[in-house]
Amino acid sequence: MGQSTLTAPSDTLARPRVSAGSTLRVLLAVARKEWIIFTRYPTWVIAIIVWPVIFPLGYIFTAKALGGPNGASLHAFERLAGTSDYISYIVMGTVMWMWLNMTLWDIGFHLREEQMRGTLESNWLCPVPRLLMMMGASLAKLSTSFIFLILTVIEFRLVFGVSLVRGNVPLLLAVVLLTMPSIYGIGVMFASLVIRFREANAMVFLVRGLVSVFCGITYPLAVLPVWMHGVAQFIPITYAIRDTRAAALSNASFAQVAPDLAKLGAFAVVLPVLGCLAFAYTERRARRTGSLAQY
Amino acid sequence: MAEEIVRVEDLRKLFPRKVRREGAKPWTRVIPGRGSVTEPFVAVDGVSFEIRRGEIFGLLGPNGAGKTTTIRMLSTLLEPTSGSATINGYDIRKQTSLVRQSLGAVLTGERSIYWKLTGRENLEYFATLYHMPPRTAKQRIQELLERLDLAHRADEYVERYSSGMKQRIAIAKALLANPPVLLLDEPTIGLDPQSARNLRELVLEVRSEGRTILLTTHYMEEADLLSDRVGIIDSGRIIALDTPERLKGSLRQLDVMKLELHDYDPALDGVLASIPAVENVVSSPAGNDGAWYVSLHARDTRAVLPSVIELVGSRSGRITNLQVAQPTLEDVFIAHTGKQLRD
Ligand SMILES: Nc1ncnc2c1ncn2[C@@H]1O[C@H](COP(=O)(O)OP(=O)(O)OP(=O)(O)O)[C@@H](O)[C@H]1O
Ligand SMILES: [Mg+2]
Repeated sequence: MGQSTLTAPSDTLARPRVSAGSTLRVLLAVARKEWIIFTRYPTWVIAIIVWPVIFPLGYIFTAKALGGPNGASLHAFERLAGTSDYISYIVMGTVMWMWLNMTLWDIGFHLREEQMRGTLESNWLCPVPRLLMMMGASLAKLSTSFIFLILTVIEFRLVFGVSLVRGNVPLLLAVVLLTMPSIYGIGVMFASLVIRFREANAMVFLVRGLVSVFCGITYPLAVLPVWMHGVAQFIPITYAIRDTRAAALSNASFAQVAPDLAKLGAFAVVLPVLGCLAFAYTERRARRTGSLAQY
Repeated sequence: MAEEIVRVEDLRKLFPRKVRREGAKPWTRVIPGRGSVTEPFVAVDGVSFEIRRGEIFGLLGPNGAGKTTTIRMLSTLLEPTSGSATINGYDIRKQTSLVRQSLGAVLTGERSIYWKLTGRENLEYFATLYHMPPRTAKQRIQELLERLDLAHRADEYVERYSSGMKQRIAIAKALLANPPVLLLDEPTIGLDPQSARNLRELVLEVRSEGRTILLTTHYMEEADLLSDRVGIIDSGRIIALDTPERLKGSLRQLDVMKLELHDYDPALDGVLASIPAVENVVSSPAGNDGAWYVSLHARDTRAVLPSVIELVGSRSGRITNLQVAQPTLEDVFIAHTGKQLRD
């Protein structure tokens, strides 16, 4: 061991100097740590650079095949979808879906990963509200998602010559921003359920399955049976996809999608609150049953 | 300033535990509440002790005794079912943040730090979580890294460290905020003998800086060597609590005999114990080649020796070694519970 002796413990230091600054530093430190760890696994390249282009290709070629030579049968699609640009149409849907999917896996497994690594408890031993750490992690995932979204836009520009940011751009941005709280609310809810049940695959598959069928990621909702519309309207992604398409592809105005925006706004309040409640429930339960130490 | 920096009073912890219902069909297990019933399980059963400032207090007990559960309640990770405790004067139920700020804890050893971060990055991260101003943190981290002999490897990923180094980073993390109390759960488990020895030295040094340490262990030598006072815990209860010397001294009126035997039949334990003046007998195999250890507590070795030799001999066992030994903390445990610490 080294020679120098450490300063004796002091009772004054034992009093945390909590301030707005130190709280913000906590938030950023958690985000930074998550980000560093993320980039130290080489698979990140696939996750945010390769995947966004690869994933929609299957749908795009299916559409191309069904569209017939020179897109002969596309007018049926155009009548329902309001555009014949099926590539942009599909990509807007798949990007939303991938964003949600990424968030569900990233945030949903965040606590579980920490739990399995053994670091969850060493974080929870620190004098910091546990929800704050969860938010810090979400912030890191949010920045990954932003990079993902931006790369997607650039890649489609380069690969397909398709511009995704067009039409009513302010509306497009507003829809994306308004969707964010819902997606992260669902993410935190997921994270809580995942450590509660110590199993997540089934739930993630269920949720993204529901979303991919009900929210019309590659087709207009009009093709769905009526009862499925009923389900779709309780999923925020439905509106997010519909309105990004409206903004970018049909140059819709704010007024035209106002009812949808109101609903997205409501989800943006309700889902994060539900997320926090689920988290609080899981934390309390963990302290009672000790379930955090088991994996 | 209070002499007792840790006070634990009648702490209890019940865990809900699922028990398979009598006669339940195997497939009902998948239906919650059908195949099993939840019964409370007592992991810690009314534990009380106090730790004085600057003291090393050891909790010694076998697997499942409730050591980890106790330490996790004190570190605010688990809510006690009943009872109370204060650390540095703060209530572990109501003042969780202040308790956490007063504590450094190493509960899961090398698993408590990030392997994909460097040692320094780990410490920087946790320093922020203890609300340390960046400049203070930097200094403190460098000081700790040098002190724990990690400075030369501080900028490598933790995954490349040896177990002993990972454990030291975990301890550095616990010491970051300069806490008056340190909680260590089985600090030397999984370490090679040399690293374990270094770590014990470190614990003693940390104490000499004026810190108070609560450590758990199931190695009686470790408890004996490190602790100023030892609480022996079994089945969630503290069955004896004193300095190691006095605990061992309490057995002075008993002789402790250690026998090594060949071809021993453990059924003989009971027969040996029925010899008058023999108090406790426990046995355990000493490897795979048919060798056994038997510990025997007797009020008068000389009087019981002939009977012991005769009994063992008559059952075709062969005594290969016999000594009358100083009592250890393990013997204290045997005397109280009739069991060995490890089985
Ligand atoms: N979260 C939990 N849920 C149910 N039972 C638990 C839980 N945690 C611990 N137990 C049980 O409580 C008892 C005490 O466990 P604990 O981990 O405190 O023992 P220990 O003294 O630390 O043992 P070891 O030397 O094995 O670490 C054990 O029987 C254990 O199975
Ligand atoms: Mg333990």
